[in-house]
Amino acid sequence: MRTTGTEIIAEARDLGYAYRPGQFAVRHLDFQLRRGEVFGLLGRNGAGKTTTVRLLTTLLPPTEGGGRLFGKELTACGRAERARIGVVLQSESLDFVSVEQNLRLYAFLWGVDRETAKSRAEEMLELFELGPMRERKPWALSGGERRRFQVARELMHDMELLFLDEPTVGLDALTRSRILDYLATRARAGLSIVFTTHILHEADRLCDRIGVMSDGRLRTVGPPAEIKRAYRGARTVEAEFERALNPVEAQELDALLAHDGDGFSWIERRADLLLFQAANAESLVASLARWAGARGVEMTRIAVREATLEEAFVHIVSEGPAPEGTLARRRA
Amino acid sequence: MTLPPVLRLVVRNFRASIDPITLLVMFGQPAFLIVILGTMFNQLIPSVGASGSYVAFLVPGMIASQMITGAVLAGRIFWLDRRWSMVEQIFSGPFRRYEYLAALLLTTLLFALVGVGIMALVALPLAGLPTLSAVELAVILATIGLGATFFGGLLIAIGSRIRSANLYFTIQSLLQYFLIFISTVYYPVSSKTPVVLKVVVYANPLTYAANTVRDAFTHSFGPGDLTAGIVLGGLALATFGLAVAMFRRLEFGPVQ
Repeated sequence: MRTTGTEIIAEARDLGYAYRPGQFAVRHLDFQLRRGEVFGLLGRNGAGKTTTVRLLTTLLPPTEGGGRLFGKELTACGRAERARIGVVLQSESLDFVSVEQNLRLYAFLWGVDRETAKSRAEEMLELFELGPMRERKPWALSGGERRRFQVARELMHDMELLFLDEPTVGLDALTRSRILDYLATRARAGLSIVFTTHILHEADRLCDRIGVMSDGRLRTVGPPAEIKRAYRGARTVEAEFERALNPVEAQELDALLAHDGDGFSWIERRADLLLFQAANAESLVASLARWAGARGVEMTRIAVREATLEEAFVHIVSEGPAPEGTLARRRA
Repeated sequence: MTLPPVLRLVVRNFRASIDPITLLVMFGQPAFLIVILGTMFNQLIPSVGASGSYVAFLVPGMIASQMITGAVLAGRIFWLDRRWSMVEQIFSGPFRRYEYLAALLLTTLLFALVGVGIMALVALPLAGLPTLSAVELAVILATIGLGATFFGGLLIAIGSRIRSANLYFTIQSLLQYFLIFISTVYYPVSSKTPVVLKVVVYANPLTYAANTVRDAFTHSFGPGDLTAGIVLGGLALATFGLAVAMFRRLEFGPVQ
């Protein structure tokens, strides 16, 4: 993980937006973004990620609560603050000129001088592997190429904070990896990033902290590792025996797991293999080992696998926030 | 040196938003009408009031109608910017909303002036052009400017509330044709004109613009032209205000 600064450059304070009175797209958002930090917003379709980006980029005015961008109230932010941010929209945005002209024209719009724009366009064409299609119109590109083009175009100007609304949709694994590496490099150089995605392992890899959204609310905020640890119910235990258990042994084991298991659920059960999830995975492993030792059943394998971000995510969005006192209640 | 935001947006509008074929059709069609209508109707119509020949009557009308051409082009740019999310992209950048609107209206005006130049060039060998005083030229340009702002503002305001390309372009085509045909661009209003048509024609701001340009061409400004200018100015201000209000409430997201 990178070391992020202490300066807060964006902040949501009980931030909310209602399309119509009483119909909230997002509500009660509370989080802070520090300089050089990569903050991931995860959530299902319609969770409110894009609305959150629109609020923080001043495209939408908050209808309740507030927030700050570079220390200034969102409602008072204008050209000066927006000149310090970059936005890759979820929807495709393009002009009716070639890929290369698009890059240079966008730089011109941002007031980048001609020489810098020229050299940066070359850099971006190479970095995003758009060189062979520089003369083509963006709408003639494939979906993945257009997405690459859009990210490349936004990087034509200088910024301190970059909003990326699902930037890797439609990209192949190799391209995704290259883009994530590049963004990580920029973040190390001090660029702050707000990143929304459905691809959870990307967020796990790139983000310093993650906010999980569901139904317009921020359910939890924290570093990926902490979020995974906080949702221990998603930890998986795998136990394998040297032989198939007989019915009496199986019955004893059932009783043991049902008695000691906290939030216990089976994933797979065979006569010689148990695969289950439980919140108190470590203590169950110890109970299992004791039982096997007492019964004289040799265990060939026993392992506790940390929850993946995807498992934690599914748990959060399907079962709601973590209990009081855990990450969900903690102000980021 | 970095240009001011409005001018950067105008440059972008010219470089990136309109394809050459569209420009050719938009400017070619009225030029074609001057040549064909002017030549053909000249044979049938011996003279039209102070203008003299029909083609001499038609040319100032077609020049005035370029405010509609400019407005249609700007409306098209705005719609395509919405369709391809460039409005959202630009608004999230170092621009204020009114600057984008001002750039669109300036683009409208510049397209209208390009149209005026093309119509004048086409008209020159057919009807000749009168020698205009500085005041007459200024009045023509001001009229075109106010008219372009009025029609441009109107189309932008409509475009900001509609989320369907089909509906927007249908409304735009209907407006364009109704405004041009129910005006004095192609024909004069006389005592023989049915009252209902007279009312509709005089309710159309393009009529006043066409009459003012025509009066400049025949060196016959009157109090009516001053009234027309004031009315056109008021309408331009009103639609500009309407467009600003619509921009404030502009909804982002997909349009079809």
